[in-house]
Amino acid sequence: MALLMFYGRECPHCKKMLPLVEKLEQDTSLRFDKREVWHDEKNADLMRSYLEIIAPKCGHQLRVPTFLNTETKDAMCGEVDLEKLKDWAAKA
Amino acid sequence: MKKRYWRCFVCNDIHYGIAPPELCPTCKVLNAYVEITAEEARKVLGGGPDSPMGKKDFREAIARFTAGNEFEVNPDGEKVDLLLSGVFENEKNHGFKFCPCRLRTKNWDEDLKLVCPCNFTIHETYKGVPNGECWCGLFVRRK
Repeated sequence: MALLMFYGRECPHCKKMLPLVEKLEQDTSLRFDKREVWHDEKNADLMRSYLEIIAPKCGHQLRVPTFLNTETKDAMCGEVDLEKLKDWAAKA
Repeated sequence: MKKRYWRCFVCNDIHYGIAPPELCPTCKVLNAYVEITAEEARKVLGGGPDSPMGKKDFREAIARFTAGNEFEVNPDGEKVDLLLSGVFENEKNHGFKFCPCRLRTKNWDEDLKLVCPCNFTIHETYKGVPNGECWCGLFVRRK
């Protein structure tokens, strides 16, 4: 399973979600590839390459934080609690 | 409908829209706008005095913008500080005050929708939501 997290350095929602993602990684075998998109153009281009998967789930835009499962082609964006993040990430 | 550029022949106000304003908001002259090219508009706007706007000025500008509206700048000062840092970083690195909580697609028209303040009143995080806020949380529904 390939899990990605796209985030922005100055995004307050991302700032809240990063520790939750780390907690999830500590508690489980799940791992996220975390990519900052406003200060790293390669990461930004990577996020743009998934526009068709992300946009329909995220208000037709590229929003951060966005969580992406590249295998199931599923995306979720915004601030959520740990349980919801865990449930989403564990979905095969 | 494609937007075009218009110049008030009296006071040189520039308007960008599908039609010119009937009344010039600056000099109050009626039917004063003539269509010009994008290049002419850029020359008029680029030749004016510089009007630098720092973070504090922008914060004051958006506070004035919200006065009289059903929304206000988020009372959470720490959150606003972080967001404005991002807005100014984006202006420095990418040319516009882009929202730090979305990413530009490199489509000009779409990306203009991400310039702060954006029209968040149509977004699902605000429209019809009692405690609604814009996606990034810079603006919140006034209580």
